Amino acid sequence: MGKLQLITRGILKENPTFALVLGMCPTLGVTSTAINGMGMGVATMAVLILSNMAISLIKNVIPDKVRIPAFIVVIASFVTIIEMLMKAYIPALYASLGVFIPLIVVNCIILGRAEAFASKNGVFDSALDGVGIGLGFTFSLTAIGAAREILGSGAIFGVTFASDVMPLLFILAPGGFLVLGYLMVVFNKIAKR
Amino acid sequence: MKSSLKNMVLVLFTITAVSALLVGLVNNITKDVIAQTEVQAKNEAKFKVLNTTANEAVVLVDEVTKISDFEIVVSTVAAKEDNNRILGYAVEAPSITKSGYGGRIKLMVGFAEVEGVVTLCGVEVLSQNETPGLGANMTKEGNALEKSMLGKNPDELSFKVKKDDANGSFDSLTGSTISSRAYANAVETAYAGYLKAKGLLDANAEGVSGATNTEWNEDNNVTEEEK
Repeated sequence: MGKLQLITRGILKENPTFALVLGMCPTLGVTSTAINGMGMGVATMAVLILSNMAISLIKNVIPDKVRIPAFIVVIASFVTIIEMLMKAYIPALYASLGVFIPLIVVNCIILGRAEAFASKNGVFDSALDGVGIGLGFTFSLTAIGAAREILGSGAIFGVTFASDVMPLLFILAPGGFLVLGYLMVVFNKIAKR
Repeated sequence: MKSSLKNMVLVLFTITAVSALLVGLVNNITKDVIAQTEVQAKNEAKFKVLNTTANEAVVLVDEVTKISDFEIVVSTVAAKEDNNRILGYAVEAPSITKSGYGGRIKLMVGFAEVEGVVTLCGVEVLSQNETPGLGANMTKEGNALEKSMLGKNPDELSFKVKKDDANGSFDSLTGSTISSRAYANAVETAYAGYLKAKGLLDANAEGVSGATNTEWNEDNNVTEEEK
């Protein structure tokens, strides 16, 4: 598989949200606005690249039967360390992304990629896979967030164009499910062509 | 790699030990910096709610008072010029009787007194955990909650949202009545703390002990937590 393909695959064929349907909890939880979706996507990508690399480095010394707990410990440590560093040295970024960081630990995309890809491939390929899947996740979350923000609060990336006339439903949880469902249909229709 | 009891125990132990060590190490390095940034953010908010900056003003006293066992910090902010002319009071207060969706909300509220009339001149959200896109909009500048109180005399405000009480002064955020209730309650607490501390501060300044002009009846605020 070509190096470029490793990246594009994560965006289209193995798009984590629309094709693999992984990481639904953060997907529905944070996509009430486009910028939140993007923030979650970028934060996840950062952790995914690092954890993929770390796991592909130690994959040969982990016994098969305990690989899952081993991966979880590595991922959770990474997330905690990133959170602490961010809080201490980039407080402005932490203020806008901070709420998403602890959610990443329970994001099954990270564990999924560790299990399906990083534990079988080299460091460089694993990093590229992290970039691809991360971009796919960011793209999906931004798309869902944008749709919900437009339909629910009449704004896009915080710029309001029609306040107080849009159905609030789309900001709330049921609207999240609706938007996710319809976007999934559209995405799969286009991607399968 | 093939699993055996020995290598499973050994590998898991090593991984958890190394991880714990790293996390502990980073925590050791960052915890002071984090505490410092939090204090700094709080200090900046003290000046911001009184429409001034750290360059132009200083905090004279931090008076800690208590309302229903919650600590309220009332900071006296004075201008560096004009012989420490008092600009107003920045009050750090949580919501007490009402919680938002994600727990208590903490606000910094600025009170300025001009010719005996108290004005709410600024507010900053110190901590909140409300839904992004809904209740979290309380941190945005010029939101409905802010607009309903800024520039007003707190004596003339009713700390209720309009949806609950026709006489309430607070417009709630769209779709976030619960968050708005907690916000209004935090402002109410801040004003109560301000009155209480102001009584003590004035008494100290005049050398009168025990005197208080507090109109706040503490019992009013101790109602059952509403869900």
